[in-house]
Amino acid sequence: MRKRTLKRGLTGFWWLTLVFLYLPLAVVVMFSFNAANSAASMTGFSLRWYHQLFANDQIMSAFGNTLVLALASSLIALAIGCLIGYGMYRHRHRKLGWLIVLIYLPIVLPDIVFGISEMAFFVKLHELTGWFKPGLGTMIIAHVTFQIPFVALIVYSRFVGLDPTLFEAAKDLYATPIKRVVHFMLPTIKPALISAFFLSFTLSVDDFVISFFTSGPESATLPIYIWGAIKKGVSPEINAIATLMIAAVALAAVASLAINRRKA
Amino acid sequence: MNDTAVLGRSRAMVTETRHLLFTVSPGAAWIILFLVLPSAYLMGVAFMTNGPYGLPEMPLSLESFRQLAGFGFLGWSPGNLYTLLRSLWQTVVATGLVVVVAYPIAYYITTCRARWRPIMLLLVVVPSWTNQVIRTFGWMNLLAPGTPLSAAAETLGLIAPNMGLYPSNFAVTLGLVYNFLPFMVLPLYAAFEKLDTAQVEAAQDLYATPIKAFWHAVFPQTLPGLLAGVVLVAIPAFGMYVIPELLGGGKALMLGNLVANQFSGGSNWPLGAAGAILMLLATFAGLYAMRRIGKRLGGGEEVVI
Amino acid sequence: MTEIPSAQRATQHAGDSSATPADSGEAEHVAQPHGSSQHELSEHGPSEHDRPADGGSERSASSIHMQGLHKRFGNSTVALDGVDLTIQAGEFFTLLGPSGCGKTTLLRILAGLEEADDGRLTIGQRDVTDVPPHQRSVNTVFQSYALFPHLSVRENLAFGLKMRGVDRQQREERVARIAQFIQLGDLIDRRIDQLSGGQRQRIALARALVCEPDVLLLDEPLSALDAGLRSQLQVELLRVQKRLGMTFVFVTHDQDEAMVMSDRIAVLNGGTIQQVGPPRDVYERPVNAFVARFMGHDNLYPISRREGDRVTTELGELVLEPGTAGSDELLLIRPETLDVLPGTQQGANHLHGRVVERLYRGSHAEFRLAVGAATIQATINNRGHRLPEVDDEVTLVVAAEDLVTVAA
Repeated sequence: MRKRTLKRGLTGFWWLTLVFLYLPLAVVVMFSFNAANSAASMTGFSLRWYHQLFANDQIMSAFGNTLVLALASSLIALAIGCLIGYGMYRHRHRKLGWLIVLIYLPIVLPDIVFGISEMAFFVKLHELTGWFKPGLGTMIIAHVTFQIPFVALIVYSRFVGLDPTLFEAAKDLYATPIKRVVHFMLPTIKPALISAFFLSFTLSVDDFVISFFTSGPESATLPIYIWGAIKKGVSPEINAIATLMIAAVALAAVASLAINRRKA
Repeated sequence: MNDTAVLGRSRAMVTETRHLLFTVSPGAAWIILFLVLPSAYLMGVAFMTNGPYGLPEMPLSLESFRQLAGFGFLGWSPGNLYTLLRSLWQTVVATGLVVVVAYPIAYYITTCRARWRPIMLLLVVVPSWTNQVIRTFGWMNLLAPGTPLSAAAETLGLIAPNMGLYPSNFAVTLGLVYNFLPFMVLPLYAAFEKLDTAQVEAAQDLYATPIKAFWHAVFPQTLPGLLAGVVLVAIPAFGMYVIPELLGGGKALMLGNLVANQFSGGSNWPLGAAGAILMLLATFAGLYAMRRIGKRLGGGEEVVI
Repeated sequence: MTEIPSAQRATQHAGDSSATPADSGEAEHVAQPHGSSQHELSEHGPSEHDRPADGGSERSASSIHMQGLHKRFGNSTVALDGVDLTIQAGEFFTLLGPSGCGKTTLLRILAGLEEADDGRLTIGQRDVTDVPPHQRSVNTVFQSYALFPHLSVRENLAFGLKMRGVDRQQREERVARIAQFIQLGDLIDRRIDQLSGGQRQRIALARALVCEPDVLLLDEPLSALDAGLRSQLQVELLRVQKRLGMTFVFVTHDQDEAMVMSDRIAVLNGGTIQQVGPPRDVYERPVNAFVARFMGHDNLYPISRREGDRVTTELGELVLEPGTAGSDELLLIRPETLDVLPGTQQGANHLHGRVVERLYRGSHAEFRLAVGAATIQATINNRGHRLPEVDDEVTLVVAAEDLVTVAA
């Protein structure tokens, strides 16, 4: 009897929590279709903010920057992180404490410290060498830095989950070192590579603080544009971009669910 | 024993070491070059003098730390100290609230049918996949003056008329709880899923009340997950920049804003760097404390970091 | 170099028995392939020109020569301490010993997965001491099977051929042929995670065999299976080896399995070979106490005095077969060589004792008896006669030719 009351209470709490989690997003989506220029009340349905959105060059360029940044940094981080993940696995019996500390550093460092360190460093480097001008390049470097650990850890844990004799079986079955990589290792860790890529991509799109401090005047991404717009005073356009970004996330969620289902 | 054996072994060692360097050095070099060196440079900046254009200059001094402690041209002022205390207070309160919400939620998910659990977890996590700025913007819309929530708070007499729930310290706390809830639910869920039900049944057998049974059999088993969650929530919360900046207005600044404002405004890099050092120290102290607690509880390895 | 008497003895022994394996090998293994017998797998196929390695079209079994193999792990752990061993072409050879004896290390050196610190290894006519595994015509059936999880059964089988550069059509033919030979049936189109343990074992065997290696290595391939499946697969493995005439090197810690399967067995301990010989030699004439105990013998008694063929132990005085050589240190009496007679009877090699314990096992019964201060075990077939009861006074009789002396 008491158990059932508890369960009913928990169910109620669960739905309340869901409302709490989705209400802010729902408000953004709702106001993106608002006919009036108001964030306080809905006056009617309209797509005008979306029309304005696609006519806004700044937003379109921010969208392009976001994609280029996420794609480029994820690919670089995938290559570097994959190597380091394999190295950690292959040499896991050595004393690699320093490497573990190094890999966890980008994860534990507060975003703000991460961002301003790189900003200060890049400014100094630019002063000294003329390179590293704040812009997409420095942003890619910064994003790769925080993506590497996640790729490395995902790849490492995939390797650890494998039967170690598989590596020996590949050698035993006449695979040369290069063929071992192409025909055994890469296909075997393919699921890990895919999820590492998507995680890196998401982390990049999600990031604001580090992008903000390493960006230049020309390289604003969508979050940076939104931030600026909020600071200047809310424009309903923001609701429209935000809604599109929320839709992308929802799509990704459904996709990940479908992939999980197929695996099960 | 004999030379060839030793030679063969050392040759193999050289090959292995070369392999280690080949795989590990690009990543290690990247992190050292683009994170360790910058952090070291930043620490150096903290010991420099603030120049007329807000950029660091020689000579070395401890001026920035004096400023951080509140000493300025006009004598001592408590502003920075308040900011620091506010950061600590917000972190503690938000982490506590996150635990209070996440604990029953994580438990509830484990009691549901297995096929629903991944979907429920996904529902909890998905909001955190959207950009932090957007999520916070959503709360700004919800809490602004004139919105239904603000109006309700006004009628209840919780806030002064026409003030709105944001900007305020309350809005920052709410934003933090919202932002970090999934980071607590996931490790707690993992802990509940591994729960040894035989122990729970034995405890129900041994102890008369469910509360005692919970305290002796369930809670200790979920402690490693709880600690992992606290690490994942408290450390980034302490350094939070976006939420206090957007939801707090000028009066609810945290350490992250103090640091960032010295750079974005270009006003005082050494002061900002000194603040960053303080933040780093707090981070590592927090990690160290959690490790110690985790080890003492015997679940040391379970704590994520 | 420190002296390694046991290894030297083992090598001599290996030399002796390898000269005439059929003499001592008994009728259990009728088909003794010698020298170079063609692999059946190749005979079936029309094409023999798919081995780029040596270009020869005739596939023949290879012998293996090991000379002074040493291996250490770290600075202290000695895995192999000077192994000299010759394995004949077409032989089913077993490396037997407890865990940590070096048998797996030896197998891994044969596969090329481990490099010996010292010594030479020849397979066929080729010195492969420094040849990496992917360039050796040797394949391994791993204890964990090591099937590639990202590939189907068919792709697993074709993996080695693909790596060797065999073209697609030939790969398919050879995979189909091996699938038929091992009777894989419809397993061939399954995913790896849909297979049971026994099925995985057979796929792993087929994957190694399809490459037609000079030598097949098997690292405790049956140890993960339950008893029934295990004995079924033992028979199948033996059948495959006899039909192919390939050299098999088999590693196990199970002496029963070793005796059922092998043409010859090498017993290892502490990184050295203790004894090499056909199963009957190793079981009935162990050279030392370690081998005797490992083969399951407990009735070992220190010899306090020996005069000609008469030895004295704590059991009393016993008479050996005239001219029994060997060491004078321990006397071995196998439990199944003892006859148990009722009452107290006199005669040569008659011992008087009392039944302390009886384990009834249906087909036979095991007895523990007290002879003076000593204990002895006896196994008696259940042929319908009266079996002695606990506390019965009995007479134990052993034939002189069944008594063996072994080194400590």
